[in-house]
Amino acid sequence: MNIRGLSTLLDRRKTQKASVKFGSMLWLIPVVSFMIVWELVARTGIVPTGRVPAFTTVLATMYKCLMIPDFSLRVFRSFLNLSIGILSALFLALPLSLVAGLRSRIDLTLTPIIMLIGALPDLALLPLVVMWFGPGNAAAVMMAAICAFFPIYFTVREGAKGIPRDYFHVATVFKAGRFSTTSKVILPSVFPNMVTGLRLSFDFVWEIILAIEIIASVTGIGTFIESSVSAGTVEYAFAGILFVGLIALSVDRLLFRTLESRIARWRE
Amino acid sequence: MSSQMEILDVSKAYSDSKKALPALQSITFGVDRGEFVCIVGPSGCGKSTLLKIVAGLERPTSGQVRFEGKPLTSPHEKISMVFQSFALFPWRTILGNVEYGLEMQGWPRDKRRGIALECLEMVGLSECENMYPKQLSGGMKQRVGIARALAVDPEIILMDEAFSAIDEFTAETLREEVAEIHRETNKTFLLVTHNLPEAIELADRIVVLSARPGKIKNILDVELERPRDKARSDFVQIHKDIFHLLKEELESSIVKHKISCIHEFQKLHDMETK
Repeated sequence: MNIRGLSTLLDRRKTQKASVKFGSMLWLIPVVSFMIVWELVARTGIVPTGRVPAFTTVLATMYKCLMIPDFSLRVFRSFLNLSIGILSALFLALPLSLVAGLRSRIDLTLTPIIMLIGALPDLALLPLVVMWFGPGNAAAVMMAAICAFFPIYFTVREGAKGIPRDYFHVATVFKAGRFSTTSKVILPSVFPNMVTGLRLSFDFVWEIILAIEIIASVTGIGTFIESSVSAGTVEYAFAGILFVGLIALSVDRLLFRTLESRIARWRE
Repeated sequence: MSSQMEILDVSKAYSDSKKALPALQSITFGVDRGEFVCIVGPSGCGKSTLLKIVAGLERPTSGQVRFEGKPLTSPHEKISMVFQSFALFPWRTILGNVEYGLEMQGWPRDKRRGIALECLEMVGLSECENMYPKQLSGGMKQRVGIARALAVDPEIILMDEAFSAIDEFTAETLREEVAEIHRETNKTFLLVTHNLPEAIELADRIVVLSARPGKIKNILDVELERPRDKARSDFVQIHKDIFHLLKEELESSIVKHKISCIHEFQKLHDMETK
């Protein structure tokens, strides 16, 4: 190949690289335009600022919120309630889904009733849960656990069903005990499903946090948004909503994406 | 001197809700130390079941397997196995997979690593220790499977259709390497296969099973010099002999099947005319 051919090839590669870079930044266009339109709509008075505050006002309010210790405490409270709820759901769902996935007789016995309960609208149970546990954190944790249980149960059960029989044969031939088979064959096999289940649960529970906290009267981020709206300080409600979104996004990226990319290294 | 392993009058039946379905019937043969025995037979004749019984993965309905004079009732640490599906754990690295058996036997970490690396070198994969199974081709995966089986220093290596899920070119070189490993280590090999040339290429003795329920049709000694050449007339002759045996077997089972179909049809016909 002559020099010229080589240089055109290099040029083409450069433009390709540039276009990839450009392509990965495309998402910014709608985001920035959305912010601009929002700002204009509020500033020009098309929508009264009492209903929709300007984007920059919301940003300023978010900064103010971070300065208020009560706000951080509320965020922490909500996050703690959800985490405890989801983890207790995991502790209950994991053993149940494993035995159901591995023993078809238990699956046939257990899964129909779990499906039946899972088919009930979760939010409909909320008032009952509040009645049983009284208003407060316990009811919120309980509610989070109920909502988180089903996605975890069904994804892990599916994973356990899909474990190839030869994996167990390998364990048996090499004289693995029951405990070792569970910890070194079954759990690693269903780990990807468990991560998917937890992710689904987290997304779902985080989405209905507002409803849970209002009905259970918990002083968390959800009730913060609600009381801001009723107090007429809408910019605080907007700030709260943006924080909820940001937290959900960062947990998704920092925790679940990291786990998933680790799994992707070995998963076929 | 008695054999290293004896299979004594082993039968296996799977019980349906209505009746017992016989899979194996009165299988008896011995395997000597260092011998390479192949078990061939038409599909569904229970040859894999026989191997699973020897591995301790299944119990025979009657009869017993004896290893070094003692009855074998559960997996034995001197007997390891290679699987058709490779059965590597995808979340473990290649090294981690080879170490698995040693880990189960409670070897310390550094010793495990040393032995596993040695076994990987034996199958020509020492460069791949940190890769994951998904990065390897089928042939390479089976090399890992063989290394895993070798790592626990077994007396007997069981192979269940070990070359059947690999493309023929790769399988051919892998067979040559297994023959080499057999010669070097002098371990006993028991290979189940439906591939006749494969059996003739590797075996000291071939056990031919009949169609379901599997019974011993014949046991042939293969006394060709190694390495074996598939084009030689004596190789071809043995192939012809076994093929003839199996063909006869298949034909008789097809005829049996046809006759039973005719009977069924006759019954239906009778019922309608009544």
